[in-house]
Amino acid sequence: MDVNRGEAVAILGASGSGKSTLLGLLAGLDQASSGEVRLLDQPLTEMDEDARAQLRLGRVGFVFQSFQLLRGLSALENVYLPLKLSARRDAREQAAQLLREVGLGQRLGHQPAQLSGGEQQRVAIARAFAGPPEVLFADEPTGNLDQATGKQIEDLLFDLRNRHATALVMVTHEPRLAERCDRILQLEAGRIA
Amino acid sequence: MRMPRAATGLWVLVLAVTLATTALSAVAFFAERMHKALSSESAAALAADLVVEQGKPIPSAWLDQAVERGLQTARVLAFPSVLFVAEQPQLVRVKAVEPGYPLRGRLAIENRAGEVSQMPPGEGEAVAEPRLARLLGSDRDAIQLGHRELQLSGRLVEEPDPSASLFQLAPRLLVSWVDAQQSGLLGPASRARYRLLLAGPPDAVQAYRDWLTPRLPAAARILTAADGRPEIDTAIERARRFLSLAALCASLLAGVAIMLAARSFLDSSLDEAAILRTLGMSSRALLRRHVGRLLSLGLVAALIGGTLGWLLQEALSRWLGGELGTVLPAAGWRPVPSTLGHAALLLLGFALPTLWSIRKVPPLRVLRRDLDPPGFSRFALILLALLAWMLLVYWQIQDLELAVYVGSALVAVALALASIAYLGIRLLNRLRAHLALPVGLLGIVRQPGLVVLQLSGFGLGLSLLLLLGIVRGDLIETWQRSLPADAPNHFLLNIQPSEELSLRRRLAQAGVADSGLFPTTRGRLVGINGQPVQSEDYTEPRARRLASREYNLGFGDRMQADNRLLAGHWWQAGEAGFSVEEDVARLLDLGVGDILVFDVAGQTVQAPILNLRSVQWDSFNVNFFVQGSEALLRAQAVPYAAITSIYLAEGSEGLLAELSREFPGVSAISIAPLLQKVRAIIERGGRAVEAVFLFTLAAALLVSVAALQLTRSQREREIALLRTLGSSRGQVRVALFTEFGSMGLIAGVIATLVANGMGLWFGWHFFGIRPDFGFGNWVLGPVGGAALLVTLAWLASRPLLSQPPLRSLR
Repeated sequence: MDVNRGEAVAILGASGSGKSTLLGLLAGLDQASSGEVRLLDQPLTEMDEDARAQLRLGRVGFVFQSFQLLRGLSALENVYLPLKLSARRDAREQAAQLLREVGLGQRLGHQPAQLSGGEQQRVAIARAFAGPPEVLFADEPTGNLDQATGKQIEDLLFDLRNRHATALVMVTHEPRLAERCDRILQLEAGRIA
Repeated sequence: MRMPRAATGLWVLVLAVTLATTALSAVAFFAERMHKALSSESAAALAADLVVEQGKPIPSAWLDQAVERGLQTARVLAFPSVLFVAEQPQLVRVKAVEPGYPLRGRLAIENRAGEVSQMPPGEGEAVAEPRLARLLGSDRDAIQLGHRELQLSGRLVEEPDPSASLFQLAPRLLVSWVDAQQSGLLGPASRARYRLLLAGPPDAVQAYRDWLTPRLPAAARILTAADGRPEIDTAIERARRFLSLAALCASLLAGVAIMLAARSFLDSSLDEAAILRTLGMSSRALLRRHVGRLLSLGLVAALIGGTLGWLLQEALSRWLGGELGTVLPAAGWRPVPSTLGHAALLLLGFALPTLWSIRKVPPLRVLRRDLDPPGFSRFALILLALLAWMLLVYWQIQDLELAVYVGSALVAVALALASIAYLGIRLLNRLRAHLALPVGLLGIVRQPGLVVLQLSGFGLGLSLLLLLGIVRGDLIETWQRSLPADAPNHFLLNIQPSEELSLRRRLAQAGVADSGLFPTTRGRLVGINGQPVQSEDYTEPRARRLASREYNLGFGDRMQADNRLLAGHWWQAGEAGFSVEEDVARLLDLGVGDILVFDVAGQTVQAPILNLRSVQWDSFNVNFFVQGSEALLRAQAVPYAAITSIYLAEGSEGLLAELSREFPGVSAISIAPLLQKVRAIIERGGRAVEAVFLFTLAAALLVSVAALQLTRSQREREIALLRTLGSSRGQVRVALFTEFGSMGLIAGVIATLVANGMGLWFGWHFFGIRPDFGFGNWVLGPVGGAALLVTLAWLASRPLLSQPPLRSLR
């Protein structure tokens, strides 16, 4: 399979069909036992863990179902973490700006435990767009949220993606969400149907 | 295969208990063997395990009872007599022994052919101390002792129990029991002292002692290894304290490791517990389930640890025995049940309070993982743990005073560490509101509670480690220095006032320094505050003896360098009064201001007690239980002779012979064998502490590992997340090094301050020595602390850095 620059691809499939495994392999978060994966024209399968991390830095974003925010760090700190890693001078200001864009301008100092699920996912989205990334990988981004909040997050995600012309690879089991993507891949028992 | 999270937490705890019990049991086994070795050392100094002494022959009932109980026995008697040497009378102290002598320790006799034997002289034989042998001359082969003519069969090279008191004037002549009985010298007026030596299994010896004590006449006394010579007692007591301190540190560190591991266990059990709660399990059942797991695994761990500990101490004892050229006595089984008990106490005190909060886990946690159950406050956790530990100390070493002192010092340390950690985190939090902190420092501010716990645990471990480092190095060195190579090894007694000047001049000529002359006299304590002193007024046997015995009263205006003033003031020149040693004062219930009356050769000497002092008996200086001021000596015209101590290098016996010719009234006694014994105890004690220190080091390392383990699963997830966000291995490392390096540095600085303060106080308070701290401590603490944590963090994170992040994130 190929994903083009700026394209949005949804991976649909039943539980256990291998959606998240495929996403992890595409993003270089896991190692394939055979075959080849290229990300941003780089051969992931031939790179070591450090080279893959280097490739992701500032160019690849992630949104997880379980948010994966760091406990004890404020929303602002969670967002400026990747900016600090790429040694951005204005990390703090930029992170604040991103949080304002996702509607959390008033909640910069709040910790994940003080935020609702929807708000936590907004922080995660702000963090994902801190690069801004060329590719965004999203694993069931609305899976843990109620329908209304899920819809808001969905809109926010697509809005930001369009604004930054970011390619999107999204794992979901919601056909309605998948339909907003340019292409849908159906996965069955580890194979693209 | 990956273990479920709860199981991972349990294994950490099992490892902590195993390592803790390994250290504890190794210390217990080893300490017991050292204790046995030291006891046999001092039993050797008595030539027996138990000695009964009195001025009359030993009743046959005592002897029969001992034989009946399966004890080995040997009778010894000592009395002064006179031999004629070149027509001149020479006072000798005759010691007559039965064939089994000595029951403990070594006797060495060199016969005329130069062969050394360990057999006491047989019937018709006599053995003379080298000093006496020289006086008798090499061509003389027989002596007359009363009615008996005895063959001089050799020289007495080594005697396990050289004398009952340092104040022995005459050289020793060793003969057989039978010859002494037949000499006709043991009439009713003789000044003979009879001893019954006993040896056997400790229980049998104790049972015999219990049987004999109520039957003992007031004038008789029992001597054991424990109340043998004050010089050896002091040395053994110090060795015991050093060892206790080392064992204490190891046990506390083990406890801290268990406490930190329990927290890891709790954290990893919460999810499962929350699920069980939602399924309807009661809080009591939940607690039972977890405590049951904890205790059963603790038991297994304790058994493994006990076995490992036994193996470790066995290896250590072999090594140490080899170093000392001896075999340490075998380890008994006594430490086994107590090791299990220690493990249980450690688990209950250090792990249970932490685990207690699992009862209150909110079922809602199945939906919101960030919901933690309410638990004891950190302060309460520390307090409960310390309480358990103090119980353990009391159980282990029966020294409540030490336990309370160390306990309160450690509470203070833990609180200081926690407050400094708390303040540091608050400061970082303030900075955090204004600027982007480095990723490493974010790690610290993120979990203030855990970091405070980590820092306190690690800081405490480091403090104890440094403290023990100081005790081991500086205190032992100071202790060894307190008995320098040129410590006095001879006493010169009975120096008449008219001989003082010429004797000192003669010594100076020979290049021998003396320790100063102390006028002494013998006197009996007859009155305290106008009341007559009667031994029946006292219940404790030693007090009764003190009330009836003659004292060697010393006089002088100078306090010996090894003495310490405990109460009252040291007198000004011209002031008349007494200074009393602390043990005597305690036994006789004496205090500053009490008026003492002594009977000195029929003359009454009376003065108030001006001060109480402690004496370092193992310094081998001239010391007295009761010392009077010079003004008292002059004012009451007390008759006296002086005493001094000197150091004679080996081979200077010729000087002694010359002195005895020039000053015939002056007696010289050698305390070199005694010195050698005390040196052996210091040497063994020092080495034992060094060995125990290794276990403490291991325990401290374990604490650090447990402290790191506390945040392991979170760290694993964080590293994975940082890697997902694109951070390089180097960036993660820098973050970890910043976090743990700064924690190690802070803990190291506090630990150094604490350890030096405690070391100074301990040295002074418990060992009576002032340690001389090296500069190294100040560098070692902070740098070592930082290096240790950074190394451990690096080792722990290494596998995480090379594994694909998704494995940790799932």
